[in-house]
This record gives sequence, C-alpha cells and structure tokens, in this order.
Amino acid sequence: MIEDLKQTFLEELKSVKNLADLSNIKVKYLGKKGIVTSELKSLPKVPPEERPSYGKKINEIKQFIETELDLQESRLKQEELKKQLLSESLDITLNGKFIPFGKEHPINKVLSEITDIFVKMGFSVEEGPEVELDYYNFEALNIPKDHPARDMQDTFYISDDIVLRTHTSPVQVRVMEKRKPPVRFIAPGKVYRCDADITHTPMFHQVEGLMVDRGITFSNLKGVLVAFLHQMFGADTLVRFRPSFFPFTEPSAEVDIGCILCNGTGCRVCKGSGWLEILGAGMVNPKVFEYVGYDPEEYSGFAFGMGIERIAMLKYSIDDIRLFFENDIRFLRQF
Amino acid sequence: MRVPFEWLKEFIDINESHHEVAHRLTMIGLEVEAVEQVDSDVVFEVNVTPNRPDCLSIIGIARELSALYKTPVVFPEHDVLAETGELDFNVDIADAELCHRYAGRVVRNLKIGHSPEWLRKRLEKCSIRSINNIVDVTNYVLLELGHPLHAFDLKTIKGCRIIVGTPNRVKGQGTRIKFKTLDSIEREIPEESLLIWDAERPIAIAGVMGGMETEVSDSTVDIFIESAYFEPVSVRRTSKAIGLKTESSYRFERGTDIKMLKKALDRAAYLMKEVAGGTICGKIDIYPKRYKPDEISVRYNKVNETLGLKLTKQEITDCLDGLGFEMKKLANSLKIKPPAYRRDIKREIDIIEEVARIYGYDKIPAQLPRATIGIESPEDRKSGSAKVKNDIKQALLKSGFTEVINYSFMGMQDIDLLGIGEYDERRNLVQIKNPLKTEDSFMRTTLIPSFIKNLVQNLSHGNRELRLFEIARVFISQKSEVSSQEAVALSHCRTECSLPVEREHLAAIYYKEKSKALYRDDTPDFYIIKGVIEAILNNLRIYDYSFVRSSEPFLHPGQSADIFIGSRLPVASSQSVKAGYVGALSPAIMDSLDIKAHKPSVIVMEIDIDRIIPYAMQVVKYRPLPRYPYIERDTAIVVDSLLEAAMLMKWLKSYPSDLIEDIYIFDVYQGKNIPEGKKSIAFNVRYRASDRTLKDDEIDSLHKSLVDYILDKTKGQLRT
Repeated sequence: MIEDLKQTFLEELKSVKNLADLSNIKVKYLGKKGIVTSELKSLPKVPPEERPSYGKKINEIKQFIETELDLQESRLKQEELKKQLLSESLDITLNGKFIPFGKEHPINKVLSEITDIFVKMGFSVEEGPEVELDYYNFEALNIPKDHPARDMQDTFYISDDIVLRTHTSPVQVRVMEKRKPPVRFIAPGKVYRCDADITHTPMFHQVEGLMVDRGITFSNLKGVLVAFLHQMFGADTLVRFRPSFFPFTEPSAEVDIGCILCNGTGCRVCKGSGWLEILGAGMVNPKVFEYVGYDPEEYSGFAFGMGIERIAMLKYSIDDIRLFFENDIRFLRQF
Repeated sequence: MRVPFEWLKEFIDINESHHEVAHRLTMIGLEVEAVEQVDSDVVFEVNVTPNRPDCLSIIGIARELSALYKTPVVFPEHDVLAETGELDFNVDIADAELCHRYAGRVVRNLKIGHSPEWLRKRLEKCSIRSINNIVDVTNYVLLELGHPLHAFDLKTIKGCRIIVGTPNRVKGQGTRIKFKTLDSIEREIPEESLLIWDAERPIAIAGVMGGMETEVSDSTVDIFIESAYFEPVSVRRTSKAIGLKTESSYRFERGTDIKMLKKALDRAAYLMKEVAGGTICGKIDIYPKRYKPDEISVRYNKVNETLGLKLTKQEITDCLDGLGFEMKKLANSLKIKPPAYRRDIKREIDIIEEVARIYGYDKIPAQLPRATIGIESPEDRKSGSAKVKNDIKQALLKSGFTEVINYSFMGMQDIDLLGIGEYDERRNLVQIKNPLKTEDSFMRTTLIPSFIKNLVQNLSHGNRELRLFEIARVFISQKSEVSSQEAVALSHCRTECSLPVEREHLAAIYYKEKSKALYRDDTPDFYIIKGVIEAILNNLRIYDYSFVRSSEPFLHPGQSADIFIGSRLPVASSQSVKAGYVGALSPAIMDSLDIKAHKPSVIVMEIDIDRIIPYAMQVVKYRPLPRYPYIERDTAIVVDSLLEAAMLMKWLKSYPSDLIEDIYIFDVYQGKNIPEGKKSIAFNVRYRASDRTLKDDEIDSLHKSLVDYILDKTKGQLRT
C-alpha cells in the first residue's frame, strides 16, 4: 500500500501545470491532514515489531516527496520567470532616448585650438573692447589720421573718435599701457570692417599675439610662429616669411604656409601659387613702444595677427565665409 | 600695380625667367599676386604696400630688382634740348608748405590724335584706356617713372600765369569754390584744398584732377605740362573731402619723388614730340622747399640684435648697396641719407628692415626665444570670468545646445518689435554712422533679435527641434555728462568714459515639435529651459537665486520669469539683481514672424554673465557625510490654485527645526476630486539628526506640527 502511495504521487505530479497545482499536491500529501502526515500519525497503531521498518519507509517516502516537490517547484519558478522576462522584452533595435550634445561653433573650435597651442607656450589670454577709441585702434599703432594706411581697412565709425575695432591689435597697446615687460599674451576676438561679399563679412574674428622682453629678435618671431604653424597644420607644413608692411611693426612680415589643399602644386584656393597667406607679423615698431612708455633700447618684441575665418575655411574646405554667420543648424551640426 | 615684363626688361638686364623674377619680387616685399599672359608678354599684378609709393612705377620695380641683382638701372631717354628757350609764363607758389616744387613746360604746334600702337598696347596692359596722344603720354610717364603729370590746353590758361594756392590764400578766408573737373562733375572745393589757378580762376585740383575748361581736346595746339610735388596729407584730405580718387592722387598722397619730377617732365615732352610732333619750349622750375634728408645713424650691433643674426659690417653694407642710399661707414655704425624717393626711410629700424629684406627673410633662422617665466598677477587675471564662461558653454553643449555666432548688429525695428520701453537701458543704443544696411545700424543691446532670425531661418528648412545658444557682448551706450568739448580738453579724445559698456551675455532658444516623437515627454517647454538655467547656476555653485514672474514685453506673461541673483526670496529685493529672463515668446511676436503653417511655442532666455560672475563660488569645502539614518514623510495639501510653489517652499523652510534636511515638491494636481480654484501640492520632507537616530514617534509629532504650521500659512487643507 505504501509502495502504491509513491506511484500515485508521481502520477499526480506529472499533471502539475503551475505553482498552484504544486501547492495543492503538497497539502494533499504533506499538509497537516495530508496522506503522509496521517500515515505518520497512525504509526502507534502499527504493531510494535513492524513499527521501525514501517516508520522508516514512511519517512523515506516523505523525504522522496519533499525532494520531488522542491525540484518541481524550482523548475516551475524558472519557467514562470522565463515567461515573465519574455513578456517584458523590448525591441532593442529602436533608437535610444538621448539629447545629442550640442556643437561648438566652428570658429570657436578653431579659436580654442589656437589658444591651446599658445597657452602651452606660456602666453596668457587677454581681451579688449570691441567698440574702441580711434586712439587705440589707429593712432597708438602708428596709423595717424590722414595716413594712406587707413585705406587698408574699411572702418565702421560710431563717432569721429570711436570706431568698431578693425583688428585685435589695439589690445596690444591696452595691455602694454597697464603692464611692464615681460609680456606674452594672445588676444582673440571679434573685429569689424564695412565690407561684405563671398570672402568678407562685416564682422569676423582675429587672434592677436604679442611677446615683449629683453633680447627678443626677428629670429624668435620666426621660431614661435613656425612652432605654432607646425602644431596647427602638421609638422611637415612648409612656412615662408616675406616682407610686408604694417604701421605698428617693423620689420613686418606676411607669413605663408604651403597650400594644404594641393600640397604646393597650385590650385584654385592658393590661386596657383602653392602658398596660402595665413598670418601678419613683425617686430613691434619702436613708435608703438614710445606710445606705451617702453624703452625701445631696453626691450624688443614681436606681434602677430591672424584671421580665424580664413583658417577655419581652409581646415574644413568651406568656400563661402557667410555660412559662419547664417547659423543654419544643418551647417553647424557638421562640426 | 600692373607691370608688363617686357617693359620692365627695358630698364634692367634680367636673365631669369618671369617665374623666378615674380618669386624674387614677392620675397623682397613686392608681392606678385597674379601673373597674367598678355599676347607674347606677361603682366605681373604687384601688391604695393602703402609705405612704398616709389614702387608704383616700372622704374621703381626695376630699382628694387637692381638692388637685388646688383645690376644698374638704365633710365629711359628724357634729355631734351628746348628748341626755344623763351617762355613768357609766370608761376607763383602761394602755399609752399603744400607745394614744395612746381615745374612746367610748354610744347607748341602739336597734332592731337590717336596714339601709336606701342603706346596704346602698353597702357592697355596696365589697364589704362587710351584717350589721345597727349593724355596717353602723361599716363605713360606716370606708369613708367611714377610721377603724375597734367597737361593743360595752353590757350585756355588766362593771362599766361599759374598760381598754386588754396582758396583761402588766393581768394581770402572762407571762400567757397565750385569747380567742374574733367569728368564734367561740378564739385564744391574746401577752402583749404590746394588748387592751380590761372590769372582768373581755378584750373585744376592740385594732384587730384584737372578742370573741364582747360582740358586737352582735339582742337588743342599748344599745351602746358605740369610736374609738381604736392604735400601728401593735403592731397589726401582734398581727395577724401571731394570723394575723388585718381591715379594721381593715389601717388601724391603716398608721396612722390621730388627729384624725379623734372625727369618726368622732360620725358613727357620728349615723347610728345615723338608721337604728336611739335616744338618743345623752355621750362619753369620753382623749388621753394628743397628735399633735405636727415642723416640716419645705424648701429651694426642693433641690426644683429633686432634680427637675431651675426652679420659682418661688410654683409650689412652689401645688403644696403644698390638701394640708392648715401652711406658713410664709421667704426660701429653707418650714417645714411636716403634718396628722395624713399621718404619712408626715417629711422634706424627702417634701415634694419631694408637689411632684412635684401638679406632675405628666409635666410634668418627660426629660433624659439629664451623667455622669462611669468605668472599673471591676480588683478590681471580675468581667468575667473573666462572659466565661468567656459563652464557655461560646456554645460550648454552637453545639454544639447548648439553654439551660434551672430553679427553684433541690430536695427531699430528689432527693438521696436520687442516693445522695449523708452527708459529701458536696452534703448541706450550705440549707433554706427556708416552701416552696410540700415537694419544693421546699431550694436546689439540684447541677443534676442538675432535668435528670432535664427529661428525663422531654421524653421523654414523644416527643422523639428532647435536648441541654440550664443555667448556674446552687448553694448550699452553711456549717456555721457561730459560735453564733447570738455572731453577733448580732458585727454586728447582718449576718454574711456565715452566708450559704451560691453557686457557678456548668454542667450538661448528652444523649440521642439512635440507631435512626432518616439518617446513621449509632456514636460512643459518652459521647465526644460528653466531646468537648464538652474543646472548652470548650481554648477557654478550659485544657490541664491529666484525666478520672479517677468514683465518683459516680448514674453508670454503666464510663461515667463525674470531671474534674480543674490537672494532666494521669490520677489525682487534690494539684495538681488536681475540677471536675465526666461520664457515663451509672446503670441504677438510669433504672429509677426514669417513662419508658415503653425506657430510653435518657443522658449528664449538671456542672462548677463557679468552679473552672475561675482556670485559664482570658486572655493569648495567638504562637509562630512551624515552618520545617522533619515526618516521621510509625504504630505499632500489642498491650497488656492494661485499659490506659487516658491511661496510654499519659503514657508516650509521658515519652519524652525534643524532636523529638516530637505524638502521637495513631487506632485501638483488640479482636476477630479479637487475643488474648482484649488490645487493639490504634495511634498516630501526628509528628517535627520546629526548626532543620533531619530525615533518614529518623535518625527510623527514634529511632522504634524509642520503640517499644521503650513496649513495655517497657506490657509489650506490636508488632502484626504
């Protein structure tokens, strides 16, 4: 009869579909009034000599049932978990929810690149007003009124004495006025000229640089600018210095790099010359030192300036400068 | 300046190819910007810098090459023997300061007509139109020798007399002159402009243009050729004042060669005889202000110290040879007198530049300087503001905002559109006297007009989402108390106070089309941007700020706030300053915009960065982490629907207990089960003690009294 119990249990276990069925069976066999429990309770009624072997058998069966039930329970739980997880499944190929990072404006991107290079060389970063006195923008830079050099720049006027700065060079004078040498800084910023076409916008950006100390030479000017250009455009970039004219530097130089688009063989961008004008530079004119009260016999220095739009246009192959200020996000997102 | 190669070769013996010559010119500072093939010749387009008027001629370019190649320049034939020495002509220079030398020649019995082909061709190559043989010769000599000439029809000059002077000098102070120039335009001449007069009237504007009435015409037989030196500044002022720029004025205002003047005159007479026949008569040459160059001392060691070279004395003088300098060699220096055509050479540094130029910039080695290590003094450092600016920028980039750069300009129509009030400082405009467009006549006092333009443009391209920001300056004019006359007296027009205030602003715009999104998010747009602002402020460690309902005329009154810094009180107070605003553009503004289809809700914000910088805390100090657990309680109360969250928070935080660690609002609800005109606000309070574990019953009673307190303040009820 006890043997039959095991068989019946196994038969019933087979029909179990879920945890509820399983719990019913558990109650039926192992509950307080369950079959196995009753058998154990009726043990005293069994003749004493059969009692030990009978008891042992019942306990064996009890253990067997418990083990089977546990096994089945964990199997069922696993299955249910599987089902639940399956029902929670997502289409992992749908796009994630995120806000794409914004893009820095290409002009400022190039500007930070330039700034980083000079800061590593020990240059600080200075600022000056964009609406500037004629004195700082022209006069103290050795560009007197009625001088043809004023034709080099088309100026926006606020009044007879106030202009929109046409270059970042006035920052040179402002910094030297308030600080004693040595000075070594760059001054990035917006500048303005009344001119508008495919290569000119009425507002654009420049970086000015100045280094003044004892014993600074033209050779040093070349050294610093070559180092900068090699960092900016690659160590094998060709660099050439040729004489030019700026009223506030002397000797003055125009700095060209080998055309980065055609490698110097001549193309539309470099107008067939193989060279691209990239920087204006020179030794600080003693006249400027006189304006700021530096002794030109004791100190010398160099200054340089460059247009950021031009560099950005070369770097990203942009052929219309006006795109920078139209702020079309289809353009801006590309950088 | 256009330079035909075959013409150049007439004056200097060159064996090198035109490619090589163009390169050499570029490398001594005469940049050849283009080389153009014209028939069998090539023409260089040379960029001549304003300091080198001596190179505005074929002979000038040849002189430069001569210094480089150490080969002499061959001058063209110009010696003329006057066929009649007699000249019944009188010249007076009334203003010798403005006219240092005046020479002239008469040529008689000329046949005016077309120029021969060689002459026309050369002018054409230099982009000058042929007019007649006489005018063409003056232009030819201008190009060849760089000296402007003018030919008058002799019979139109009244009284055989020339006077050189200003209307002030010739006709008396304050005389206003009207004068018809060659281009048949009648011009008003300033009283201090130098004119050429005959016995009765002005006949030319000195150095700029001749007069209509004395022009050489087909019927001209005899001419008077003028060759003079006019003072550069005077010519420039006149040319600017009357708005007339000519090949002559271009050269005179840069400075001409006072010694070449006679050669040019003779060369012209010689050529006129060649191309138009005629008899050359004697000349007049009045030279009241002689050219006397100052001697310039140049120290050999200064040359090397400036350039970073170790040139010998010989190498230095070799470089300078051939530049036409008069040189005296001393032990340690050179004494130099520049020629009349090099008025740009005045100081030692000018000579050093010449050495560098001829030696060759390319041969100067590139050497990094040995520099003093410097550290910025704290007062020089604006790095605090640079750092704040950069922090803000990075935060916006990571929040999905793309940076724009707009022009600094705006128009009156922009300020009017925004409805900016009459006494608002944003109407203290800085006006540009010569704008490119009237709608760009002013410097921006707010960045919003530019963003409205960015919005319209980008929406027209079908963009569904727009997050843009800009950090740029605005310009607020300072209404100066000082009269301009006083300002001049104060410090030579250098008064800083006349400059506008430039303030760094941040502005942003946000728009998102809601209907087409994969994942729904119904947070009102206003809170998205407000959240960005709060995140930026918290990142800068600015905690004392508040949002107060805005009165900006261009914002939606129900969806906008002014940002106050300096106090957490939700009202404008004496401790706080307005640093900006955030809100939806008003429906009126949206209606006025050229946006098709729908009118979206657009959020803008603008913050004055300079105003918030002082509140940005730079110092970070660690606070110990709490050691005891917290207890939380949630409560919902029903209050008047107009009660703002900030007010509720203010009251909650005013409850006197140091066990309250944090309070936040987690739900606001209006609708079912809440009476009309009321709303439910639910908040969470976290309690914690720093020295012990709190007990539940202790907090139960504390929380109850907090709730009683707040119900009393808000006149609200517990939500059940």
